[in-house]
Amino acid sequence: MSADAVTEGTAASTDVFLQKPLEDAVPIRVRDLRKSYGALEAVKGVSFAVRKGEIFGLIGPDGAGKSSIFQILGGVMQPSDGEASILGRTPRDARSMIGYLTQTFSLYQDLSVAENLRYVGELRLLSKEEIRERSAHYLRMFDMDRFADRLAGRLSGGMKQKLALACALIAEPKVLLLDEPTTGVDPVSRREFWDALIPLAARGMTILVATPYLDEAERCHRIALIHEGRIHATGTPAELRHSLGLERLEVRANDLARAEELLRKARGIEDVQRFGDRLDVLVRDVAQGERSVRETLKDLNVTELHLREPTLENAFVATLRELEGDVSLSPFPRARQTGMPKRNTTAISARSLSKRFGDFQAVKGVDLEVRYGEIYGLLGANGAGKTTTIKMLCGLLEPSGGTVTLAGERDLRSSSVRQRIGYMSQKFSLYDDLTIEENLDFFAGVYGVPRREREEKKRWVLSFSGLEGRERQLTGSLPGGWKQRVAFGASIMHEPEVLFLDEPTSGVDPLARRALWRMINDLADYGVAILVTTHYLEEAEQCNRLGLMVAGYMVAQGSPSDLKTAQRGTLIELITDEPQLAMKILRDEMERWRVSLFGDRLHVVVDEDEDTAIKKLADRLKRNGIDVVRAYREPFSLEDVFIQTVERARREGKVAPED
Amino acid sequence: MRRIIAQARKELTQVFRDRLTLALALLLPLVLLALLGKAISLSVTNIPVVVQDLDRTPSSRRYIETLQASLTFRVAPLPLSTQPPEALERNEAYVAIVIPPQFERSLQRDRETEVQWLVDATDANTANIMRATSVALTQDFLTRMNLMAGVQPAIRAEIRFWYNPGRESEKHIGTGAFAVMLALFPPLLAALATSREDEQKTILQVYVSSISAQEYLLGKALAFMCVAIAEWVLLLASAIPLFGLRFAGTPAPLFLSTMAYLFCSVSFGLLVGTLIRNQAAAIQATQTVAFLLSFLLSGFIFPIANIPTSVRWISHLVPARYYIEVTRDAFLRGGGWAAVWHVPVMLALLGSLFFLIAWLRMRRMQMDV
Amino acid sequence: MRKTLQDFTNQRLWALFMKELQQIRRNRRLVISLIVPPTLLVFLFGFALNPQVRNLRLGVVDDSHTPESRELVSAFFESGVFQVESYYTSSDALSRALDAGDLDAGLIVPSNFAKRLARGEAVDVQLFVDAVDSNKATIAGGYASRIIAALSDRLTQASPLTVSIKRAQPPRARSAVPRVALFYNPGLRSDWFIIPGMLGVLLILNGSLVAAATMVREKEAGTVEQLLMTPAESLEIITAKIAPLFLLLSLDIWLVLSIGYFVFGIPVRGSLLLLFATGLLCTLAGIGIGTLIATFTKTQQQAQLMGFFVNPPLSLLSGAMTPVEAMPQWLRPLTNLNPVRHFAIIARSIMFKGVGFETLYPHIFALLGITLVLISFSVWRFRKQL
Repeated sequence: MSADAVTEGTAASTDVFLQKPLEDAVPIRVRDLRKSYGALEAVKGVSFAVRKGEIFGLIGPDGAGKSSIFQILGGVMQPSDGEASILGRTPRDARSMIGYLTQTFSLYQDLSVAENLRYVGELRLLSKEEIRERSAHYLRMFDMDRFADRLAGRLSGGMKQKLALACALIAEPKVLLLDEPTTGVDPVSRREFWDALIPLAARGMTILVATPYLDEAERCHRIALIHEGRIHATGTPAELRHSLGLERLEVRANDLARAEELLRKARGIEDVQRFGDRLDVLVRDVAQGERSVRETLKDLNVTELHLREPTLENAFVATLRELEGDVSLSPFPRARQTGMPKRNTTAISARSLSKRFGDFQAVKGVDLEVRYGEIYGLLGANGAGKTTTIKMLCGLLEPSGGTVTLAGERDLRSSSVRQRIGYMSQKFSLYDDLTIEENLDFFAGVYGVPRREREEKKRWVLSFSGLEGRERQLTGSLPGGWKQRVAFGASIMHEPEVLFLDEPTSGVDPLARRALWRMINDLADYGVAILVTTHYLEEAEQCNRLGLMVAGYMVAQGSPSDLKTAQRGTLIELITDEPQLAMKILRDEMERWRVSLFGDRLHVVVDEDEDTAIKKLADRLKRNGIDVVRAYREPFSLEDVFIQTVERARREGKVAPED
Repeated sequence: MRRIIAQARKELTQVFRDRLTLALALLLPLVLLALLGKAISLSVTNIPVVVQDLDRTPSSRRYIETLQASLTFRVAPLPLSTQPPEALERNEAYVAIVIPPQFERSLQRDRETEVQWLVDATDANTANIMRATSVALTQDFLTRMNLMAGVQPAIRAEIRFWYNPGRESEKHIGTGAFAVMLALFPPLLAALATSREDEQKTILQVYVSSISAQEYLLGKALAFMCVAIAEWVLLLASAIPLFGLRFAGTPAPLFLSTMAYLFCSVSFGLLVGTLIRNQAAAIQATQTVAFLLSFLLSGFIFPIANIPTSVRWISHLVPARYYIEVTRDAFLRGGGWAAVWHVPVMLALLGSLFFLIAWLRMRRMQMDV
Repeated sequence: MRKTLQDFTNQRLWALFMKELQQIRRNRRLVISLIVPPTLLVFLFGFALNPQVRNLRLGVVDDSHTPESRELVSAFFESGVFQVESYYTSSDALSRALDAGDLDAGLIVPSNFAKRLARGEAVDVQLFVDAVDSNKATIAGGYASRIIAALSDRLTQASPLTVSIKRAQPPRARSAVPRVALFYNPGLRSDWFIIPGMLGVLLILNGSLVAAATMVREKEAGTVEQLLMTPAESLEIITAKIAPLFLLLSLDIWLVLSIGYFVFGIPVRGSLLLLFATGLLCTLAGIGIGTLIATFTKTQQQAQLMGFFVNPPLSLLSGAMTPVEAMPQWLRPLTNLNPVRHFAIIARSIMFKGVGFETLYPHIFALLGITLVLISFSVWRFRKQL
């Protein structure tokens, strides 16, 4: 029922303030909201409204002002100016009707799941029975009822986040504020989290969510792009995707680096992005664009060219570029005296690598090879053993079994090996209590970058991270995304031959992420071997090869296209008038993972061929009174690959259910 | 009220989960109590003393025997070749005693003779005791030699040591250490638990629920009062056999003051925790302020009267000062209510003051920027 | 080739060293803890820990009401040790006041005091001392005996009241008296005892806390991995961490010594250089303890708590605040393992006795040994964890 209301509302007048009764129809209203911290203005006059039963996404990089807005709406901070109201009251007075989930989850790590729920319930003056019933209800709903007695600190990232959601829900709030609930969480857990969220909205809960992931943004009813304290675009994901008025051409050709370079200069082409083994070319006119591409790349043998819908990422990059101009990418000042190792020879090699922590086998017989000039992406859920594997590959952890060869050497701890390696760890690469310049000086010094090259390299890192003139700033005061860029720059100043990047782009805005990947590609083209992990599956597309880890096993390896073609079954996208109900019906009959909801579209994985499957699905829904508006085959995305592979491993008994 | 209990229960659950802190809360005070009670003492025994006997007569040997009979000294002879001050310089002895030549002859001829006591006065208190001992032991020697036989002192002092007739130092220090332990550990736990909420951002969870500042603080206070009472019982159960204590009078003032004192301690911890939002810094602050002040400005080891007036006023703000009065009264003096009625009053006042400041800091229940 | 390699190493160590120095400079808490606790401790301990016994509150029950009894009371008063708080009519009232803690001592003069004195008979006066504070009671008792003995002497020798006694028995000089000479600290100032002791306690306490915090911080922040991926050798990393701390902590030696000299007038009669050198050893021992703590903990908070287990025993069982001779027999040998104990002896000997290496070498070698063992063990453990 409310799904209807939402669609109608979206289509209807944009001035929601005219609707009556106001509080009920539009529970969250924000008008010209401002927040300053000293001289720094974090929120610069933000206005938006969220309707009842709507999932509204605030999308933007770290430091955009999202958390400040959430803290004001949660009633835990006063705005400097402007108005924020929840259900017609000030956020502070409306606290009893708000569920608030913060980035850090606000869980007591040393309390059990049940104790956390109980404490929150008691603070909100629920009766004993209410607490018991609702805890049981939500734990069952989130498939966590086995873990009621486990300490919150010992849950996986995904489970923690579901527990935090249960805590936020226990008082049955009318409004749910979710501040980056899924940052740093793997795609499988993220999908489960969103699967739990969607029915809540369907039952009339109003949800405001912040996320840096664009695949999550796709699942919101409406989204707003926020950048440096201001909102720049608001609308449904579809509206935003098409707001550019551009079409996207997926191009595969022989020499992508050269193809990209050529297309960038070609006429009639708005933008070119490289994604691993393909290029995304944005054009205003399809026919003219296609001609232009074929013409420009006539020497390079275009193997594939498809017309696709533009993605949200395309839209955001375009919007951001309008705002701040493209990130300039001055060439990296190379001063290497000795030549690079030969391309395509082995840089990192691991044979039946394993690691055991007490009783726990974290990594089980992993074979892996990365060659010079190659970008290798390591994917996996939290706790799948990625970080342990990386640490063994770069010599930080002694393997329990197997061998590692790094840059041709077996002694990973020798000074000379480390001199040839660059490493950027998850979040902690820089010293927060040093200035940016001091950090750069330190890394340059400790890697022995010759003095005469230092100035030039430091200048390059500063320009690369867009921090020129701010080198005296303390690193700790930078938003995460900026810090990541400096850290990346710092890790390549000594021109390593092998580069380890553990989640280099978390919290980085799409534009900067593109710059970062262009640099990564540039390094690979120069001959550097790169091993990277990421939770952004859009990014994984840019790797030459991927390795997928599940529960310590390496379950699949290959190029993104290989992995996708290796998928069994067919992916069908369904557009129906009642997606919520449709999902429920289909899930009753099929395995849970086969069906998931993306905003108003359903993704269903079937084993039959396209036509039979569509017919069968439509019939099944028809019998339940649901009309399928459109249904067509979609190529598998990496996320689908990821989730299916994990599911398959789970069915084969490789992954024991978490306990 | 339900929220207070909910808050308190949560705190207690956390305390029991955190092994290191629990050990710290329950075990360390006992260890420290024993350590403080047994190791801090000013009643020196077995002090190394060297004697240079320049007389070598039965009388001089008798004098040395008298010294040896004293428990205070461990006597060693000093060879004639060594200058007595050298023994002090080399830290071989605290006192070098020189018995002059002609010692016996002088005694027999009723001439006054002087025994030299060279005292290392680096430690003023020990030196003071040495000075008193020198008089007492020489008297003792004269009596033994029957040299005093004919002389009766006109006034005989009959000195009685009350309350602690054995003058056992550990009874004095032990009762104080008991109070110092309670001034240190309950606030430490309370401060940690309070600053941790800020450090780990769980405080946001509290802010968004509509619990009020007083409920939040009272809940925490209640929980740590329970821990503190457990600590108190443990400490009491160990202090009594350890230092041979027993109740000298009615224990009622002790019990009442204990509650007020523990409230004071816990409130102080809450105060530190709300002011300092970093656990490591909170530990340091509690350690420096609570421990140092209770250790030094409470009359724990040395009389408050000895503190210069410029600093002495601070001692009025140190809860341990009052509580020590009560413990010493309960276990040694036995003065009862008449002697210590003001203690629970002062402690309750101080506790409320600490609590009030913590409340003022928290009352908005919002992030401050 | 070798030249460049050497160049690299030096450059690396320099970069590490600069980084530590810059971090310390930014770390306000560290800088504060280098200055505030030492100053506070020295001042408080110097001023507050004063075992001198004076101004004891004396209550008097004078049943005699005679000039003689008044002379006795004023003898107590004149000593400066006792001050007469008030008079009581009965011993009951006196003991109630003692019970209430209003008095430190009570004197009861019997009604026949003057009469018996006049008759040349010995009189007993009773003195009750509140012995809750045993040290104070011992010293008070000693003073009281001396006051009464002196008065007694005076009465038997000179007082016209006792002419009869004199006649009956010719006065006889007491045949042996101790002549006490107080060395090194004739003013019997207790702060002179405490402050050199505190110097050692502080160097260990501050050294260990600051070192533990610095060492553990990199682990806590996770930057240690990044550091380990650089070509820096683990020994270089540790050296670069310890060196600036060592330099800064050594300033604490001067801080305490200057407070001692300027505020408390404590002399340094021996070699200042030797004092400083042994102080450096003590600092190094403190850093060793701190590093050791850091290898057992993951966060600064845990490190601080661990400090609680280590530091009180070290400072209490050192003879720095109270004499080792006041500890139970079985504990005393253990104190030889405590670096603070050796440093306290060294510091006091240099400052007050003016002696040098030739007499102090056993303690200096003991301190050196303990320090070497501590620092090498902790560095070995820390390195293993890197």
